[in-house]
Amino acid sequence: MNEAAIVIRQLCKKFGSNEVLHKINLEVAQGEATCIIGPSGSGKSTLLRCLAFLEEADSGTIEVYGQALGFSEDPSGRRVRLPASSLHAVRAKVGMVFQQFNLWPHMTALGNVSEALKSVRGLSRAAAEECAMIQLRKIGLGERASYYPAQLSGGQQQRVAIARALALEPRIMLFDEATASLDPELTGEVLNVMRALANDGMTMVIVTHEIGFAASIGRKIAFLDKGRVLLAGAPKDIFRGPRHPRMEQFLDTYLDRGAAMLI
Amino acid sequence: MTPAIFALLVEAAFKTLAISLLSIVIGFLIGMGVSAARLSTRFWIALPARIFVSFFRGVPLLVQLLLIYNLLPAIGINVPSIVAAVVGLSLCTAAYQAENLRGGFASVPRGLLEAADMVGLSPSQQLIRIRAPIAFRLTLPSLVNEAILILKASSLVSVVGVIELTRMAQDLDTSLYKPIQLYAAAGLLYFIINRMIAALGTLAERRYAWGRS
Amino acid sequence: MRFDFALVESRLPEIFHALGVTLFMWIIGLIGASALGFLVAVARRFGPRSLSAALGVYVELFRGTPFLIQLFILYFGGPYVGLSLEAIPAGLVGLSVYGAAYFSEIFRAGFEAVPIGHVEAGECVGLNRVQIVRRILLPEMAMLVLPAGVNMAIILMKETAVMSVITVPELTLTISAIGTEFYAFVESLFLLALFYWGLVEICGWLGQVTERRFSRFRLVEA
Repeated sequence: MNEAAIVIRQLCKKFGSNEVLHKINLEVAQGEATCIIGPSGSGKSTLLRCLAFLEEADSGTIEVYGQALGFSEDPSGRRVRLPASSLHAVRAKVGMVFQQFNLWPHMTALGNVSEALKSVRGLSRAAAEECAMIQLRKIGLGERASYYPAQLSGGQQQRVAIARALALEPRIMLFDEATASLDPELTGEVLNVMRALANDGMTMVIVTHEIGFAASIGRKIAFLDKGRVLLAGAPKDIFRGPRHPRMEQFLDTYLDRGAAMLI
Repeated sequence: MTPAIFALLVEAAFKTLAISLLSIVIGFLIGMGVSAARLSTRFWIALPARIFVSFFRGVPLLVQLLLIYNLLPAIGINVPSIVAAVVGLSLCTAAYQAENLRGGFASVPRGLLEAADMVGLSPSQQLIRIRAPIAFRLTLPSLVNEAILILKASSLVSVVGVIELTRMAQDLDTSLYKPIQLYAAAGLLYFIINRMIAALGTLAERRYAWGRS
Repeated sequence: MRFDFALVESRLPEIFHALGVTLFMWIIGLIGASALGFLVAVARRFGPRSLSAALGVYVELFRGTPFLIQLFILYFGGPYVGLSLEAIPAGLVGLSVYGAAYFSEIFRAGFEAVPIGHVEAGECVGLNRVQIVRRILLPEMAMLVLPAGVNMAIILMKETAVMSVITVPELTLTISAIGTEFYAFVESLFLLALFYWGLVEICGWLGQVTERRFSRFRLVEA
């Protein structure tokens, strides 16, 4: 049993009167890929964004390698906002890949990947670019280093975005529906990069619609529905054998998207 | 329309161009300041900025020019009329440019800033390395547009006694009595200069296209 | 600097008359500009290529030159080609023709912004050309054109001040003349500025109210 990289306890989040996350309890184990699946509106992306502290939960705690993220809560439920330095310390260990890639359009691929190495880690321009080139080559885009995002395909842009996150050597990688914006032919190249990462032992939290992919690389699947973790466990427990009726309902809509492979 | 007359008009056109360029640049700098002030959380900084923008966009430029032309001597500042004209034009364009910049900064997609948060860029680093370049690029078309507007608006400084293109045409008319030719020639010169500004703008947009076709 | 209300009071009728002239020039000019501009836009979109090109030249020229120059040509140059207009008619014609060039571009953009898919859907259910324009294009365009149109209306209102140079007895001419008479230049100009500022703010507010009322026509993004 691996140690827990992330521990989420009783996490709640409301948008206005809409309760998006309700007392979420989840553990993400070190060195494994944890996949979060579920219907639209189930709160998957919100949960991931809370892990990145791009959204602030209303109550509950998140611990990353034992360090509290954003807020600390004592047993009586009192929340204390932690200083920015603690947030930065946690963020330094976490990398995030967005559905919309979010590459900075005025920088080349090399520029995007090397930017944080220069500005945040303080490397010299030459050293930063050297590290960035290594990352770009790893994902197969070495020759496109001087291309701007507008000159790259969606799949290439997302791979650059992954390289940008990896350049900072995070211990955990978060993927927010990384292939949802891609044309079907281009999802493969991104999924391959993610698969390679998982095989290398990276701790990953993946929110995805690609059920087949989730089943194949995920060591743990969490099924979210209406803001609650309905099911959590190994793929074979969740997908095979007698399924939870809600999971049946969910998979039905995905039958032509690859879920048929699981049957 | 003899070449000599046309040459006089062209010379005056250069004056117009100079006044306009100066006003645009000064106006941009003031506009940046006003734009930043508007974002301030301190109401005693943000409110005057808002009033500034509202006033200089709500009052006709001619009235602004007349006001400044008469106001400066009244409070003891005696400057040549051309200085008053440039001040008036600059303040007017500053208000519009402040609005354009505001729109530009607001249009920077949030996701880009979230990615910057995740890799650890500080707010000031984000402002300098990401928000400013992208906002500037987004504002470029309206900047070019504003330049063209100022060039046309500069014709009004003829009313406060600056000898630029419009005034030159007027003065020539009083002795030559050929208004259609003179004003048409002046209009043509304005048109040509505007075209050149637009062409420069297109070049600039291409330079900052970042790979977009 | 001193401000004497009694002086202002004695000239109040004159000031109100000037305000009337300004508003008259503005509203008639606005109607003329938007009507003419609409016709130009329609002609360019549905008319022969040569007409569209010729009108294009008109649009470019009148958007690319200062309004003051256009007024000078009309008012001072007109008599030389048999067109002798008084100040007010000259101002009206000038403002309408100037504004029409801008309105034609606004309407043109409005035509193009209506997704072709909506027009095609109309054709598929059997609507003819006229019905498509009336029931689909115009209502959808109205919503798109409104913000730019309101903006242009405000611009035209401010441009009425320029007419003072060709002696149209509107606000700017009248109030600065009064100011000169009483050696109160700055006060009168401030008053003038406040007048326009107020008018512009009211227009802007009216524009927002109108936009909100027509928002049910807003294009639904797919």
